[in-house]
Amino acid sequence: MSSNRRGVGLSAFSRSSIAASQYASHGSNLRATQSTSFQTQLSVFQNLLHQFSITHAKEIRSNPSFRAEFARMCNAIGVDPLASSHHKGKKEGGSLWAQMLGESVNDFYFELAVRVVEVCRETRGTNGGLVSLAEVRKSVLRGKAIGGGMEVSDDDVVRAVESLKPLGSGFTIIKLGHSQMIRSIPKELNTDQSTVLEAIQVLGYVTVSMLQVNLEWERARAKTVIDDLMGDSLVWADKQAEETEYWSPAYTQGT
Amino acid sequence: MTTVPETTPSPFTFSTTHPIHRQYHFPPFYTPQPILSTHHAQLSQWAVLILDYCRHNRIYSLSLSQVSYSKGTRPDLSAHPHAVLFYNAAIPRWVEPAFAREIVDWMAGEEGGMKAEWRDKVGGSGKKGEDAATGDVFWVYWRRPEEWAGVIEGWVEGSGQKGVVLTVYELLNGDATAKEEWRGMDEELMVKSLQILVKRGRAQVFGGDGQLGVKFF
Repeated sequence: MSSNRRGVGLSAFSRSSIAASQYASHGSNLRATQSTSFQTQLSVFQNLLHQFSITHAKEIRSNPSFRAEFARMCNAIGVDPLASSHHKGKKEGGSLWAQMLGESVNDFYFELAVRVVEVCRETRGTNGGLVSLAEVRKSVLRGKAIGGGMEVSDDDVVRAVESLKPLGSGFTIIKLGHSQMIRSIPKELNTDQSTVLEAIQVLGYVTVSMLQVNLEWERARAKTVIDDLMGDSLVWADKQAEETEYWSPAYTQGT
Repeated sequence: MTTVPETTPSPFTFSTTHPIHRQYHFPPFYTPQPILSTHHAQLSQWAVLILDYCRHNRIYSLSLSQVSYSKGTRPDLSAHPHAVLFYNAAIPRWVEPAFAREIVDWMAGEEGGMKAEWRDKVGGSGKKGEDAATGDVFWVYWRRPEEWAGVIEGWVEGSGQKGVVLTVYELLNGDATAKEEWRGMDEELMVKSLQILVKRGRAQVFGGDGQLGVKFF
């Protein structure tokens, strides 16, 4: 009895602590199995994705909509396809495109980024470093570089431009009106400048008096904005019109 | 090597998608741009357009007064078809003579890669700028005479014409050269190119008065 009581006394504590530790260890066992099973699932999935990308590397490279779908799939499982792609040299640091898809798809975006830079540089004299995404996409398609033109989507171009960011390239995507533009000169447009460029996008061109009438700007303000835009080669003057018209080479027809 | 088509070439299309050709449809392209860097880009784009147009149509020289007109003047395109180069009826815009001259001068200079040359400069100094303002006809060198010399030399070697005597007329119009690129070339330019081969010791030109002959070594 006394032993029992003693049992009820101290051993009760030890019993309950044994039970607690048993529960705990059982719990951690469960967690461990669960986590290994998750890990297995994830690695199986990654393997499948890897397999898939190898099997379909060609299509991923050549078919823009296929590539977009694939990118969406990567995004859905929290994979940033191009993350850390600039540490290619290090074994463990390759981008996920590189790890999962092998170098070839990763290279695709580098190749594209190089072409985008080329197009922007070639046309900078004309457009002051502001060019519509659609035009870059078309120039890349027409490209005469090795391997001929690349068929890419706007989505691809955006991704390529974003991949340049860590290089401090100053290339940014800006939205002007309803067009996406690539700005390849790290110079911000002020509100007035953006307004004028948007007006040109809609109307084709603007004149100083159009700006005065439609935006209720003082003549001096309209002239200053135009002069600034001209100075940066963002607009060209047409003096053969009745009143000098200002056009943007970024929105020429055929794009 | 490209060959000269038998029929007249299709009219040059000022493409709306070509990065430079499409500038033809951009109204400000016809106004000399006041901003220096833009102006510079504009000159080099005009040069590309002119060279591509002339290459396409196998034009070796042009007359400024026949291709450039003042704003408001409608050029007689049936008499001077190449006026389309500096006159876009659709928008309508003109490269006026002073600007056209500036473009040609630029092409003739170092920056333009000496892709043009005034043919009829008055005065003997030959210095750029001095007499150019009086020039009217100019060479358009989509191939420079040295390049033509190389092309001709290649043909001589490839077709076993070494040691053969040909008239310049045959070289330009004969059956043997029917498929060569210089077909229909201005005779003066041909002689200019042959003179380069003479200087290199690869040819000898003799005769005169429209009866020029050439022997290749």
